Amino acid sequence: MAMAMGADEGAEIAAARRLGFADLSPMVRSGYKGTGTLGWVRDQDQAVPEANNAALAWSDGTVIARLADTEVLLLGGFDGADAGHRGLAAAWAEARPEMCFPVPRADMNAEVLISGAQAPAMLAKLCAVDLRPRAFPDHGVAQTVLAGLDAVVLRADLGRTPAYRIVFDIASARYLWRCIDDAAMEFAGAPVGLAALRHLAAEIEG
Amino acid sequence: MTDRLAAPAGLLIDRNKPVAFSFEGRDFTGFEGDTIASALTANSIRALSRSFKFHRPRGVLTMAGQDGNTLVHAGDSPDVLADRVRITPGLQVRALNTLGGLDRDLLGGLDRLARFLPAGFYYKAFFRPRPAWALWEPVLRRIAGLGRVGAPVSDTGCDKQYLHADVAVIGGGPAGLAAAAQAARAGAEVVLVDENPVLGGALTYRREASSDKAARAVEAADNVTVMTDTLCNGWFSDNWLALIRDRRMYKLRAKAVVVATGAIEQPAIFRNNDLPGIMLGGAAQRLIRHYGVRPGRRAVVLTANSEGYGVALDLGEAGVEVACVVDLREPAPDHEWAEAVHRRGIPVLAQAAVWAAESDRNRMRGVRAARVARITGRGTCGADVDRFACDLITMSCGYMPAAALACQAGARMVHDTEQPIYRVENLPDRMFLAGAVAGVYGSEAVVEDGRVAGHAAAADAGFRRRGRKPARRHEPESTGLCHPWPMFRHPKGKEFVDFDEDLQIKDIVGAVGEGYDHVELVKRFSTATMGPSQGRLSTLATVRIIAEATGADVAAVGVTTSRPPVIAESFAHLAGQRFEPVRLTPMHDRHRQAGAKMMVAGAWMRPAYYESETYESETQISAEARNVRDTVGLIDVSTLGGLEVRGPDAAEFLERMYTFAYAKQPVGRARYVLMCDRTGVIVDDGVACRLAEDWFYVTATSGGVDGVYRQMLWHNAQWRLGVDVTNVTAAYAGINIAGPKAREVLAPVCEDVDLAAAAFPYMGVREGRVGGFPARLLRVGFVGELGYEIHVPAPCGEALWDRLVEAGRGQGLRPFGVEAQRLLRLEKGHIIVGQDTDGLSHPIEADMAWAISRKKPYFVGGRAIAIRETKGLSRKLVGFEITDPAAPVPEECHLILRDSEITGRVTSVARSPVLGKVIGLAYVAPDQAEPGSVITIKVADGRRVPARVVEPPFYDPDGARQDM
Repeated sequence: MAMAMGADEGAEIAAARRLGFADLSPMVRSGYKGTGTLGWVRDQDQAVPEANNAALAWSDGTVIARLADTEVLLLGGFDGADAGHRGLAAAWAEARPEMCFPVPRADMNAEVLISGAQAPAMLAKLCAVDLRPRAFPDHGVAQTVLAGLDAVVLRADLGRTPAYRIVFDIASARYLWRCIDDAAMEFAGAPVGLAALRHLAAEIEG
Repeated sequence: MTDRLAAPAGLLIDRNKPVAFSFEGRDFTGFEGDTIASALTANSIRALSRSFKFHRPRGVLTMAGQDGNTLVHAGDSPDVLADRVRITPGLQVRALNTLGGLDRDLLGGLDRLARFLPAGFYYKAFFRPRPAWALWEPVLRRIAGLGRVGAPVSDTGCDKQYLHADVAVIGGGPAGLAAAAQAARAGAEVVLVDENPVLGGALTYRREASSDKAARAVEAADNVTVMTDTLCNGWFSDNWLALIRDRRMYKLRAKAVVVATGAIEQPAIFRNNDLPGIMLGGAAQRLIRHYGVRPGRRAVVLTANSEGYGVALDLGEAGVEVACVVDLREPAPDHEWAEAVHRRGIPVLAQAAVWAAESDRNRMRGVRAARVARITGRGTCGADVDRFACDLITMSCGYMPAAALACQAGARMVHDTEQPIYRVENLPDRMFLAGAVAGVYGSEAVVEDGRVAGHAAAADAGFRRRGRKPARRHEPESTGLCHPWPMFRHPKGKEFVDFDEDLQIKDIVGAVGEGYDHVELVKRFSTATMGPSQGRLSTLATVRIIAEATGADVAAVGVTTSRPPVIAESFAHLAGQRFEPVRLTPMHDRHRQAGAKMMVAGAWMRPAYYESETYESETQISAEARNVRDTVGLIDVSTLGGLEVRGPDAAEFLERMYTFAYAKQPVGRARYVLMCDRTGVIVDDGVACRLAEDWFYVTATSGGVDGVYRQMLWHNAQWRLGVDVTNVTAAYAGINIAGPKAREVLAPVCEDVDLAAAAFPYMGVREGRVGGFPARLLRVGFVGELGYEIHVPAPCGEALWDRLVEAGRGQGLRPFGVEAQRLLRLEKGHIIVGQDTDGLSHPIEADMAWAISRKKPYFVGGRAIAIRETKGLSRKLVGFEITDPAAPVPEECHLILRDSEITGRVTSVARSPVLGKVIGLAYVAPDQAEPGSVITIKVADGRRVPARVVEPPFYDPDGARQDM
């Protein structure tokens, strides 16, 4: 995964603050599905969002999104830690819990992160859901259509910068990247690397 | 720019920025901010275009984009409104509806033939004798004209954007500004939309009006988004509003809508009322205040309200000599502007009308005089006529609510006979009117009305707590604004009711006389209100004429239906940016590198065949197929649908979803699946691989998997079985390696699966590692050879492809595409759902009764299939062969004939290189389905080709090759 798209780190951070988009497809990603899923995840002493279409972060940085009463999606944190995923996968392999089945999210989905103040405006060119911060809270989840593609949109702000993680069909990755690139042009958006995203994410502590 | 006024007139222009453009090949200069119409008027050009039917010169009428008079061709755009589109450097503008140019239109004489061309003439002429229409149609279309779309058409760059608001306010005039401010004060997020470059509406051009304070207040509010130069062109369900600005269509979803679109000034109807130089009072004021343009030199002001006196004063101050004010009323009202007119010595002719206008000899100059007569009754004038030389006649006779959006939402226009004005009733929930559109006039009353509407809209949107409910302290002023009958029929006609279609009073009366006595019928017969202005300027007059002709009350006549769009819009805006997802398999780049000719298969890109410098495509496809039969081939089948069906009731679930039996299917075995809908029609097929007692991996067709998945989810929700279904299509890359050497090639890279026939038989399923990757291996035989379908995680697909290619080096392995696969499966007689089946095909007629389990109690479509069986077949899918090498090869969908009766059609056909003959599948009549029957296929050139019905499969009927 690209840590930086160019040599100028400052420019990349500025782009991420304005409108940046990053390919997070190589990051760890998993999911579980079935009527026994929520109960089993809770049984592993892991928090599950109280409602559908909401997400929360585990202590290791893993973000868990509750897509339905029967399904969760797990996304990796920016620091690369994957203890949450690993732990759950190991527990599942050992227990084979009833009516809880792994979903190969790492293989079937690509992931793009869109960050910056202009991100909501740019996304409004691709998606009918109101994703502006006033209407779509941090850790909100929308299962919607983006540029004609089924997608899960998860708001995951980077520090003070609005950011959206978009999980979608991996076979359409090039298509959506082109759509995002085209839509971002109006706002001088640019691809950014993981380093810029980590910089923004760290601002919350700073 | 001989008619340009000095500053401060000209709110919208920048005098420091001249703009050069051309009109009809002549160069002109305007200022930045000028519209085409204002810039040409400033250059003393009166005629902008010609009319649609009679090619009469036409000029400025509304200066608000409400009429079709100013339609011109500008740049690459046909049919743009000259009074809305602004000039840009180098813009080339041409008039419409001319043959030879605006000045020298060869069809200008059509006007003299008007008496022979009444409304609806084309329904009666040109159709006899019958072939005549084919000759007349192109002539009439050319005469009728309008703009021409250039070709080739390039990408316009139009796109779309979604917007959201608590309250949308449409119209930025005084009512809209007040509504927006009030809703914002209540805490609502407001989007304020106005089609003009600046907010203020009538306040920006009417006499003694100012919009500055109200506009500034709204613009300063944090929670108001102002969108000027934006046209709200349609209302759709749940307050979905289509907004157009520049090259973008915005889809605005609002919780509540305030429509504050004002009212549309209506023209008076008199002889030659369409001449250039005859315009609405508001148009003259817009020219003066917005663009600093003098609309004429000597004017006659026709009025029926105080607004006309304001126009007269404005004209006088702009240096226009006002010859007289002609007031339709008696006596003239007591109003300060009327008094000012008197004080300035401008003659006022009360209870008088412009009876006719005279055209200049040079018709491009437009009006040269107004003939004014005393009104003697409703629509009639006396014989004594005064002639006033003038080059400008303004009309201020009344208004119609600009209620198109409200009517699209279900509101009704109701005539108030006393005022007389139209009012809008029956508003839907969460829509509010404010200002003139609601029949509220008078500066204070309009603002109060806006506040009330804004408050109510915000409350409906959930903002109830903040802000006190506004009070109404001023009475609306609507009395005396609209004259009940500003129409004067002239013995010589040419009193235009609908300028778009050159419809005169006699055309509407004639339509009623023909028996079309309902407003909707008159509309369709005469085309009144159907032109570019969509009745904004003609509905009122048309309704009044119908009322008189039928003896009905105006209120009883009603108005025509209002539908989107409000103003003509371009297809480019509707189309916007193309979002057509394209799916690529993990091996896509390898295919391109290998010279694949890619084809679209649903959303997927697949290799049709691999191009060769040596061979034509057909030869190449044959060679690929032959290679599979002789040695070994490799095809990317990643597009195959993949569904995980897991849970204790997985087998029971499949029993219900598919026609075959799965309860006793052993683990490690695959079984064919055939899915029908509830009517017994085949919708998909594939194989179900049992990976565990409670786990099936089910494949589906590339194009059908999403529908299959939806069906499975729906039925799972109904049945509530212990099963979960997941669509994992994109998670797996699939490669089918097929041919007599498949095992030989695969064995070195397959680490932990015994590929021997006994250990891994046909229709077996194994899990193991191939090329180092975790894989599911399926021994299936779609192409009819020893073959292994290998499914690995998608990210491993490209590397696995490389390893298999490497393993096959020296073994004759080569990739093959979809076309070769289709040929190979046809040789085996396998159907393709959607190609060999259609929306009516059931398993019995598709010769797939073998795939139906008769022992299980239920499956989707089972009951329907049973009923169909009792009724007998109406057609049957059969195989056929054509052995005559000289016979033409039929194509798919060619007809099967019995004498002249159509009994079926070809669904698949190809020349088989391995069999040396043409083979195919076709639906035929049941009595033609017996093997050995001879059927007749009608090919494209009409020849009849005999073919013999045979029992598929055509190739390796015993299946020995796939069982190897």
